[in-house]
Amino acid sequence: MSRTLYPYPVLFGRPELEITRVRVDGRQLDFAKISHSQRSVALDGIGGTDDEKWQTATLDVRATLPEEEIADGPWSELHCVAVLEEAATETRIVRRLIKDRASGTWQGSVPLHRSRHRSRATLGVQVVAAVGDVRGRLIGRSENDWVLDLQEQLPVRDKEIDIVEVDFRDGPHVWLRPFKDAPWFIETDGDMPTVYLNQGVDGLGLLLRGNGGPAEKATAALVNAQIVSDAWVTMFHAAAGDLETDEDGNVRVPPGWRESVLLAMLPDVLPGLSPTDALHELLARREDGDGWSTLQARVQYAASLRAQLPKQLAATLRATTLASEGATR
Amino acid sequence: MNTDLSTRPARTATADRIGLLPTGVAKRHLNRAVLAGAEPPAQVALLRASAPVDDASARWNSEPVRVLLEQAMARFEGDRAAADAWLAPRLHATLRLTRGEAANKDLWAYLGLIVAPDYVIWRHRPVVADEERRTPTVQSARFVGGNNSQALARLWWAAELFRDGADYAPAEFACGNQDVLNTALRLDIMEHRPTAQAVLRVVRRLADAGTPRLGDHVNALTTAVRVARSTLVFEALGPDELPDEAGLLDWVADADSAPPVSWDRLPDGPDDGGVPAASVATLTALFEDINTHLARARDRRSSAA
Repeated sequence: MSRTLYPYPVLFGRPELEITRVRVDGRQLDFAKISHSQRSVALDGIGGTDDEKWQTATLDVRATLPEEEIADGPWSELHCVAVLEEAATETRIVRRLIKDRASGTWQGSVPLHRSRHRSRATLGVQVVAAVGDVRGRLIGRSENDWVLDLQEQLPVRDKEIDIVEVDFRDGPHVWLRPFKDAPWFIETDGDMPTVYLNQGVDGLGLLLRGNGGPAEKATAALVNAQIVSDAWVTMFHAAAGDLETDEDGNVRVPPGWRESVLLAMLPDVLPGLSPTDALHELLARREDGDGWSTLQARVQYAASLRAQLPKQLAATLRATTLASEGATR
Repeated sequence: MNTDLSTRPARTATADRIGLLPTGVAKRHLNRAVLAGAEPPAQVALLRASAPVDDASARWNSEPVRVLLEQAMARFEGDRAAADAWLAPRLHATLRLTRGEAANKDLWAYLGLIVAPDYVIWRHRPVVADEERRTPTVQSARFVGGNNSQALARLWWAAELFRDGADYAPAEFACGNQDVLNTALRLDIMEHRPTAQAVLRVVRRLADAGTPRLGDHVNALTTAVRVARSTLVFEALGPDELPDEAGLLDWVADADSAPPVSWDRLPDGPDDGGVPAASVATLTALFEDINTHLARARDRRSSAA
């Protein structure tokens, strides 16, 4: 069922999960809030006047299992459960699904109580069966879990970094004052990383919103790529700094965006290693200091790739060359 | 009524109410002097950077939390670790938070740096021998940190994960054992209430039997249980009931009329449904089984040595 090896027979076929309908406090959720392609549901800004006050979203789900394989397999007491979880709130709800004889799919509903969640919950499915004389074995699980986002109005999977434009010197954030001459500052301590753009730098916001000619547009793209690249470097270090080992020496990955950032960047930072090995290597280098400095160049490189810095730089160089040729012609 | 005040929303936090302090700001104020307890955190600046909670409920008053923590420091002057078992259920019953609210690190940063920095220092300052010249400092994660490390968050989450509905007794027991408190809180297996209760049953039996080096046994047991969880679905073996959401929300709403928690009797938690006894029994049997295997493995190792 995955890269992990199990000491008993497990399913080769992947169980698939669909959310068929969402009701919020009894009212059906707008279909535009559910994206099947992104496997995502947006639970913020739900109609009505009192939209922040909803209590329970009921998720109707349908799971499809590799039934032929199951029929021929060595399993008994097989059943299927939906698992709703959010690590940040230590919440996991497990609900048994019932097999629908007509369609052959497994169906049921899972309640999501707002009070037990904070930002993002995931919903997946697990298949449980008795193998030999051992009951309750995990024999299969879905791969692409659904994302239920309590803070998004649109059902998108990839969250964007928050961008806040403030005046560093005279604005409301006192702590930004020491950085009054910096064009931007990246903050990674919160639930989501935030990029603060300095309104005190004349024309920066205007440039980035980009309504100028080709040269201005190219410059804006380059500055933007530089900010994004800085953000990746900062996020990578913040996430790497939060890595811990547990009692058994396994690396514990910080949840949320920190995990996503590490998984996205490690193949470029430490190429050729499996995700688990790369995490171990990263932690070892951080703790021993050995090879930590050589890693920095690769972090820069991986961040610039993600930010498309080489591409934007080439485009800017071309635009400025054309502009100066136009001026001399 | 002062119209000027009512038209302009109160934007800044005040020390008499619990607010939200951005963790980034909080970390910048944790210099060595603060971590050593030599200087209090800069309260005025921190309050200015904080946001009030947009809810008039009495549960956001900081006074009851202050009173409770001062009582804990007075009672457990000689044995700081023992304060955890007393404090965890009482803190949980005083704050009356939902898990969604408690997952906000800004809340705990506010409590740690603005409401109770003296408690954080008192509870977590390391004891060092006199010949050590350096001033002992508290880890910054005790002020600003995750569910299992921040000084007050760890107690709240322990009470939340180990209580049996309204009954805090299992949580009190769990917090009375630093090994349970420190290792178990880091494991996601405790999200499943019957699993948490079953682990506590086995630990309680070992403790009652006067098992030597209980901490080692607890660590070995929780590790083995977690390994078992990678192939066994505990939720299928010992299913839990859905939490009673209305019971929890009523309890939260009752914060305005509830008297302060008793210092000598355990308070009642939210009545959101007890843990199913049959599921706890099934899992307890399973974990006792695992514990027996561990003991046999230990015996084999020691006889081989």
